This record gives sequence, C-alpha cells and structure tokens, in this order.
Amino acid sequence: MTSSIKSSPARHETVLLLVIVLEVVLFNALGQRFLTGGNISNIFRHSVEIGLLALAMTPVILTGGIDLSVGSMMGLCAVLFGMMVNSFGMDPWVAGLVAITVGALGGGLNALLITRLNLPPLIVTLGTFSLFRGLAEALTKGSVAYSGFPQSFLALGNSNTAGIPTQMWVFLVVALGIWLLVHQTTLGRSFRAIGFSADGARYAGIPVARNTSIAYIIAGAVAGLAAVIIVSRLGEARANAGIGYELLAITAVVLGGVSIFGGSGTVAGTLLGWLSLAILNNGLTRISEYRIFDQSVSSVARELSGMLTGVLLIAALAIGTVMKTLAVRRALKQSLENSKATHS
Amino acid sequence: MKRKTFIAGLGLIATLPFVSCSKSESDGKLTIAFLPKSKGNQYFVTCERGAREAAKELNAELKFDGPTNPDPAKQNEIVENWITDGVNVIVAACENKDSISTALKKAQAAGIKVITYDADSQPDARSFFVNQATAQAIGEQLMDTAATLTGSEGEFAIITGSLTSSNMNEWIKHIKERQVKYPNMKLVDIKPCDDQKDKAQQEATNLLSAYPNLKAIIAASSLAVPGAAEAVKQAGKSGAVKVLGLGLPSENKTYVKEGVTQAVILWKVEDLGYLAVMAGAAVAKGELAPGATEFNAGKLGKMPVAGDNIVLGKPFVFTKENIDQFDF
Repeated sequence: MTSSIKSSPARHETVLLLVIVLEVVLFNALGQRFLTGGNISNIFRHSVEIGLLALAMTPVILTGGIDLSVGSMMGLCAVLFGMMVNSFGMDPWVAGLVAITVGALGGGLNALLITRLNLPPLIVTLGTFSLFRGLAEALTKGSVAYSGFPQSFLALGNSNTAGIPTQMWVFLVVALGIWLLVHQTTLGRSFRAIGFSADGARYAGIPVARNTSIAYIIAGAVAGLAAVIIVSRLGEARANAGIGYELLAITAVVLGGVSIFGGSGTVAGTLLGWLSLAILNNGLTRISEYRIFDQSVSSVARELSGMLTGVLLIAALAIGTVMKTLAVRRALKQSLENSKATHS
Repeated sequence: MKRKTFIAGLGLIATLPFVSCSKSESDGKLTIAFLPKSKGNQYFVTCERGAREAAKELNAELKFDGPTNPDPAKQNEIVENWITDGVNVIVAACENKDSISTALKKAQAAGIKVITYDADSQPDARSFFVNQATAQAIGEQLMDTAATLTGSEGEFAIITGSLTSSNMNEWIKHIKERQVKYPNMKLVDIKPCDDQKDKAQQEATNLLSAYPNLKAIIAASSLAVPGAAEAVKQAGKSGAVKVLGLGLPSENKTYVKEGVTQAVILWKVEDLGYLAVMAGAAVAKGELAPGATEFNAGKLGKMPVAGDNIVLGKPFVFTKENIDQFDF
C-alpha cells in the first residue's frame, strides 16, 4: 500500500513526460516548422518569464502558501527598472540588480504580513497583487512607457548564446539553484515539512517563520529578475508587464504535481508542467493547415490553448486523485482480506 | 502506471476529432498577416472584414491573429511566430509602440515587409503607416459639421478625454484654427471626461446649466458622445443643443435615431483594413516603394502617399440618414 502511494510523484512526472512526448509528436505531425531551430527558440524565449515565476512559486506552494503578487511585482519592477535606466541614466545591469532587490523587498513585505501577523497568504498576496500593480500604474500615470535601452541589454532577451536563447542560461541557473535549495538542503526539506504540518515542523524545532519568509523573498526576487528579462525581450518597460502571469505560473506548478495544500512536490515536476504548457501554447500556433470551428487552428491558438490547458490541468489532477483513491481502496480491501484469512 | 498513461494518452487523442482535415493551399500565394490591437474589439473585427476583402481580390492568403488579453508581450509573440511561418507581409496596428517595434524590426531583418495601420510603430520598424485620418482633417471636420448644424453661429463647448491626451489636444488645436472661418461661433469651455461615459454626462449637464445659450457640444472622446447625448436628452434639450463627436456609429445609433445626436464622425473602418492590406501587397510586389507619391489601391482607386504615410482620406460623417448601413 505505502509503496504505491509514495511513488506517486515519480509517476506524475512520467505522465507529464509522456504528455510532452505526445505533444511533440502531435505538433510535429500536424503543424508546420514546429521542430525548427527558430521555433524551438521561440517556445523557450516566450515562456522563460512564466517558467521563472513557476520555479519561484514552487517553494512557496510547498510551504502550503501561495503568492498571487508575483505578476504585479513584475510590473512594478519593470517600471522602476525603466525609470532608473531612462530617467536617471543608470547602467541597465546595475538597475537590474536594483530591480531584483526591490522584488526581494516586496517578497519580504509579503513574508512579514504572513508570518508576523499570521494573515493567510492568499489574502496578503491578493492585497499586494493590487498594491504592486497600482504602484506601477501610479508611477507611470498608467501610460508612460520606457524604451530606448542599449543594444547590449536588449541582447539578453533577443539573442542566442551557445545556440539557445540567452535568457535561457539565466533560467537554467535559477532552475539549478531552486532544485538544489528544495532537494539538497535542510532548508528545502523544511519547506515540505512546514507545508505538511506547520505545527509539527515547529515542534520539530524548525524556524517556521524564518524559513517561510525565505520562500516569499526568493519569489519576489525572481519576479524582479523576470521583469528585467521581459523588458529586455520587449525593449519596453510598462506598468502592464506580467499581467496574469501569476496564475499561469501557479497552473504550471500544480500541473507539475506540487500539492496546492503544500507538503509534497518536486522542482522537476514544476519544470515538466511548465514545459508541457509552453509547448502546448506554441504548438497550436503552428497548425495552420487544419481547421476548427471553421477557422484555421493557428488563428484560434490562444483560445484553444486556454481551453486545453484547463482540460490538461483538471485531467492530470483528477487522474492523480482517482488513482490514489483506488490504490488506498485496493490496499484496504487487501488488508481486510488478510485479516479475514488470519481469523478463519 | 500503465493505466494512467493510457488515460492521459486517451485524453490527448480525444482532442484530435476537434481537428478536421481540410488543407488550404498556399503555394506561391502571397501570405499577409494582419495584426489588430486586440482580437475581440468590434473596431478591429470591422478592419478585418476589409482586410479579407482586399486579400480575396489579391488572391492572397490572410492570417488574422491578435491578443485576447492585455498582456503586452502577446503582440510580439504573434509577430515572432509569423516570422517562423515565413509570411511575406505583416500589417500591424500597434498597441505598445516601442515593444512591438522590437519584433517588427526582427521581421524586417527576416525579409518580411511591414506596414502599420491605425496606430504607428517606430518609423524605422515599418515601410509605411496607413493613417486613418490626419489630426487636421479630424479637427476641421468636427468644426465644419458643428458650423453646419448651428447655422454658423452661437456658443459651443468641447468635451475631451483628458487635458493631457496628445492626440485629442491636436484635434482641439485644429478645431480652434478652423474656427477662424466662423466668426459668429464662440468656444466657451473645454472639459475633460477621463474617457468615461458617466463623467462626460455629468460634465455635459454642468455645461448646459452654466451656458444656457449653448448651441452645440463637440465630444472628442468616443465615450463622451453617448455621455453628452444622455445629458442633453435628460435636460429635454434634444435638437436645441446639437451633439456631435468622434465615435463608433454602433455606440451612438439609438441617440442618432432619436435625434439627440446629429452627427458621429469617424473614418470608414472597413476601408482602413482594406487599404492597409492593399498597401502591404503593393510593397511586397515592389509596386510601392519609398519616394512614391501614389499607388493603386483596388476599389479605393489611386491613393496619395505623403512621405511614409498613406492617408485614408477625409473622415466620414454618420447621420440619421446613413447610420443604418454600418454595423461597427
């Protein structure tokens, strides 16, 4: 019984891997220029920011929390970054570090409210979701946009380095960092312990408030980094950067098998969840020769991918739950039969 | 494990029937990609209709795609996907001028011809901008129509979107310049409405009580037109105080038919999409190059080119008589 339930994260990742393989096979067969260098670059280039947010969201969700403010934090950091570079003539790389610091401070604010005032993370970050976006809009009066960044900075979002989009290198470093943190350190193990039972963790001597705070601070800092990357990709900093990205990141994390109640999940799962969504979003835009709802698939790709993301998410979670229930029921039946056998 | 994989696979395969197989042939045909600011907007749906008509006449394939949400990265992603598709022409209405220019320049570098319409990009990110109407033409049309409606005399007021909006201030500047032609008309006030219908209605009500001799209200923001009309209607001054302004015919149809609003001014939106696609095709075929002074735009005839701007023409006046023929 225990073995079948315990191994469920690994199984979930296998399923996601198969989904990804199926997607690739399907889109390659039905679409045009899906497996070309240019398009594969596009898949990653267009989804790096959401991938970063999903990575940063993983420790937060492992602790049983949630951070709805990361998308808005991107908007705020993007605007501050644009201001620093454009209005104050700051070097973009220095401004980038400042943006990441501001993100960390914003995450710190979330952490303070959640751990010191004991407010629910959903409420706190729903508040800062509006607060950060509102600040970004107020700073720019909703309409000012910053552009004209130096080419060397724009290259981060628009060029390739060693054959892959330059920003992917940043992503890989962050992914490795988060993986090491979550799976190779005691701090990382404590995230799951807190998510499983905060009181239990406290009794076990884990500094729950401090460790939870670290998760939110990392989330804020990574949101700041995502802001810098999206500005370099678009060449424009505006208050509406990252709108809705928090939900896309949460979708990737949950699809990746991280329990929304905290306590279980892996970074590899998050990465696979993110990748399967990134491929889905891009792949549908490649299918222009087939028609659906009387239009070519590629022209309704965004609507379809929204729909299919929902189907994929609900299916993956429903199947997981059903399998778990079945496994428990089977094991229960088995032990009942065993006890009957010994009694008779 | 096996069962789970099986079910997951089944789920994916289940999505296949949605996809029917009717291959469209695109060999040797010009492929023109048409990008609206947003997909669901009636204004751009109308543009698309014109664009499709042009593509049909040109025997070109038209791709139409645009953002469905306010994510500023979406227009760029669509353009970058079109670069991968290897389209010949991109015709774009730019939501965020600077960010879309980054992607349009990439398209140009890949050998794709770029035309903008409705809202321009940075000048070096496209060959031509198809301009729906110049600020001067809009300002003059508003003033002339106001004069016609009031018999060229009396007080009038303007409700604008905001006092800092650069394009609206440009229109107002041209209204004032044109006013010289009508010495018996007097501009008494300019009020902002924050691009809100309710605020416009409130401002119009204030204007009506502050200036009892008011003969006309010019609304320079699209939501100000129905707002001003509602105020005039509630004050029982329908017809006595003329209402006119820039806006979509569909948003004003009821007031126009009731005789509260006399004139709605806008360009023919369908023709804007048509002209933009015609210009894109002409550039791709080498019929329209920098320095040209005119080009052949199908049913619209020869259109003048001013520098890197192609202007659709004089704004169109929608009135009680013709408003039923338009559905945007």
